[in-house]
Amino acid sequence: MKRPAILVLAACCLVSIARTAPADKPIVILNGKIRPVVGPALERGSLLIENGKITAVGPTVRVPKDARVIDASGMYVYPGMVAPLTALGLTGYPGAGNDVNETGLSTPFIDPFDGLNPEDETIAIARVDGVTTALTASGSARPINGRAIALHLDGNLAEEMILQRDVCLVFNTTVRQTNSYPSTYEGVSRFFDEKLGKAKQYMEKKKGGDVPRDPESEALMPVLEGRLPVVFVAHGEVPIRIALRLISDYKIKGILFSASSEILKYADQIAARGIPVIWGGTSQLPERWEPVDKNYHAAAVLAEKKILLALSESSYQGSSNVRRQPVPASLSVAYGLPEEEAVKALTINPARIFGLDDRVGSLEAGKSADIIICTKPLIQASSKIKTVLIAGRIVPMENVQTRLRDKYRAIVRERMARKK
Amino acid sequence: MPHKTLPFILLSAALAAFPLPLAAQDVALKGGTILTITRGTIENGTVLVQKGKITAVGKDVAIPAGVKVIDASGMYVLPGLIDTHTHIAIDGGDVNEATDPVTPQLWMKDILLPDDPSILTTLSGGVTTVKAMHGSANVIGAVNATIKLKYARPLEDLLVKDVRPQLKMALGENPKRLYGGQGRMPSTRLGTVYVARKAFTDAREYKAKWDEYEKAVASGKKDAAPPARDDKLETLKLVLERKMTIDIHIYRADEMVWFLNFCKEFGLVCSQISHCVDGYKVADLLAERGVTFGGWTDWWGFKEEAYDGCPYGFDILNEAGVNIVINSDSPDESRYLYLNAAKVQKYNDLSDETVLRMITINSAKALEMDKRIGSLEVGKDGDVAVFDKYPLDSTAKCLMALIEGEVFFDLARDGVAAQKGGLR
Repeated sequence: MKRPAILVLAACCLVSIARTAPADKPIVILNGKIRPVVGPALERGSLLIENGKITAVGPTVRVPKDARVIDASGMYVYPGMVAPLTALGLTGYPGAGNDVNETGLSTPFIDPFDGLNPEDETIAIARVDGVTTALTASGSARPINGRAIALHLDGNLAEEMILQRDVCLVFNTTVRQTNSYPSTYEGVSRFFDEKLGKAKQYMEKKKGGDVPRDPESEALMPVLEGRLPVVFVAHGEVPIRIALRLISDYKIKGILFSASSEILKYADQIAARGIPVIWGGTSQLPERWEPVDKNYHAAAVLAEKKILLALSESSYQGSSNVRRQPVPASLSVAYGLPEEEAVKALTINPARIFGLDDRVGSLEAGKSADIIICTKPLIQASSKIKTVLIAGRIVPMENVQTRLRDKYRAIVRERMARKK
Repeated sequence: MPHKTLPFILLSAALAAFPLPLAAQDVALKGGTILTITRGTIENGTVLVQKGKITAVGKDVAIPAGVKVIDASGMYVLPGLIDTHTHIAIDGGDVNEATDPVTPQLWMKDILLPDDPSILTTLSGGVTTVKAMHGSANVIGAVNATIKLKYARPLEDLLVKDVRPQLKMALGENPKRLYGGQGRMPSTRLGTVYVARKAFTDAREYKAKWDEYEKAVASGKKDAAPPARDDKLETLKLVLERKMTIDIHIYRADEMVWFLNFCKEFGLVCSQISHCVDGYKVADLLAERGVTFGGWTDWWGFKEEAYDGCPYGFDILNEAGVNIVINSDSPDESRYLYLNAAKVQKYNDLSDETVLRMITINSAKALEMDKRIGSLEVGKDGDVAVFDKYPLDSTAKCLMALIEGEVFFDLARDGVAAQKGGLR
């Protein structure tokens, strides 16, 4: 990605908003334990990065004369994580406000790009822990929410962060209104039929000639045409069933986002229909009649059935905790998910689910150089992330929290010295 | 779910609600890697528990006849973990008596539910002792209860006695938001500290009256009239007499400093600052006063006073000599305190021994129970967790949890493996 020189200069001069070193020189990551995610692991291998892209991966690679060499011996090298449903860029410090979940039951025309704040501190918090791409949705708490956008977690300006606009819409079949329609699941189910039915009619009328413009139906048209996928937030038996019905009735390219163990009952159907699942329920408490470890096992069961599976650290759309993405992977591996599957569910699988896998999610020649170098396997909670690259740029390993650490370590030490 | 399975569900629910813990007996965990926490690691060792207490820990332990032997070879044996901040075993509606900012007359031990499923889920993470706490709605909340997770036993068996109880207090946003929202004091931090100060000033006067009365009685004055009893002040009097300590919910450093000074002024003992988000900023002051840091590894940013949460702060706390405890405040996270301890190492340069102490012996200290629990040593309670791998390996899981030698959690019995027909 080329950036205007003045921005690069600004990024270099102002430490407080420093993002990255420009990717002008080739970079070689040397002699690491390479985990490409797609294809076999290399116990000792190297990567060549040119113009922001990976150009070679192998036991050895060409080392250009002007290359910056990063010694990764003894360390693990993974593709950056892809976080599946977040509010990164729409939240932040008090005063920055919170621009998630616009009012209204149906706002498919809302675009998170319009509220995107690259200064949201949650972005830098997530990326130093290895999340390099995130799907940011305008909301997920209303029945029909706005669009979602795929972001590279690096950039001074909103447009520099864009990996892809209009990745999908977000529907929520779980949420019932209090004291207004739809306040029951039968109402929720009907509500979607009304909105999608109206959009279908609009689409047909439009083919026949001029119709007064309806922004809501207009925004739902690409869903009905199968061009724009929909993430269904479906927690619980009935919400999952409603989502599965809508996907088939309206031929929607649907993705399930669920955090309840009922999804296991539908796993065979979901697998047969090729519907991807974002599982956010690993650490949800079991129901009182369920075995204590039921949700810990769910990812393993879903993966065993060959469902395209992504993991989410949360059952809702968050921002401050996105760095905890490896937690459900750790717990799922402890209770039976193969480690390679867990790593895929943090990287290439979410990239595939959102159609970003031609660019991110694995270490392969031709892909964006989104890379993390860490001291232990990614799913180990104690693994320290040492280096993060996004589109071939080395990200500064700092954020508001490292600055707080540095400031208060000095203060506490000084006060202790004075007392001695 | 097909209707015909309903009776089976009810049956299994009933069984799940009332499992029969293996009968009380002496037990030896044999052949595992023993993490004693305070006295190093013993490979291929044995922990012997007799009459509820640890009677031997070591490599060559003779196992007396009649002792049940649990084969722990290939496994890791460590003290039962401790969570110093939970709201488990409590009906959700009973966490906060949110009608009055000062409620020290209330005791959590009165309303605990010994067969609440949260006890079993917490046990499933190797946790055997927790503090079940009042919420943070009130400046002065209720008296917390420390319990051993003896699932489905009579409550009396769960309650830990013979240690000083801990009173819950809270500063910051929660009391202010709740009572301010009702147009009552406190609606600001100024009001909050006034409420605390007034309560303890009243208690000091109350105590003086009772002291005077007792002195009069002791000196033989038969006509001395006792002061009127006040249930709130009765509890605060115990705090003034240091027969009870305080666990206080504070996020911000300025409020921590205020409270440490307040404790000094009134002669109060603060055991733990809970949600000690800003603790690293005043680490030296916490260490000086012997106050435990009780907190999370990486939660932050969910409200204004949580914005300076910093997972890198543990190095600073450790350097200053603070007693650091990782706790949960969450029935979910309580199940993987070991994972959160490992996560401390992601952000700090701390040894395995140091972070394991944060969920065992340091926690026991914060409860003033370090003579009884928190490590595997002869004479301590036979509270033991068995893991399939090293507990700081994030792919480890807890297989078994014993309290005073009895098995209260067994993954083979309580997990999906025991479910007929597999996982559905």
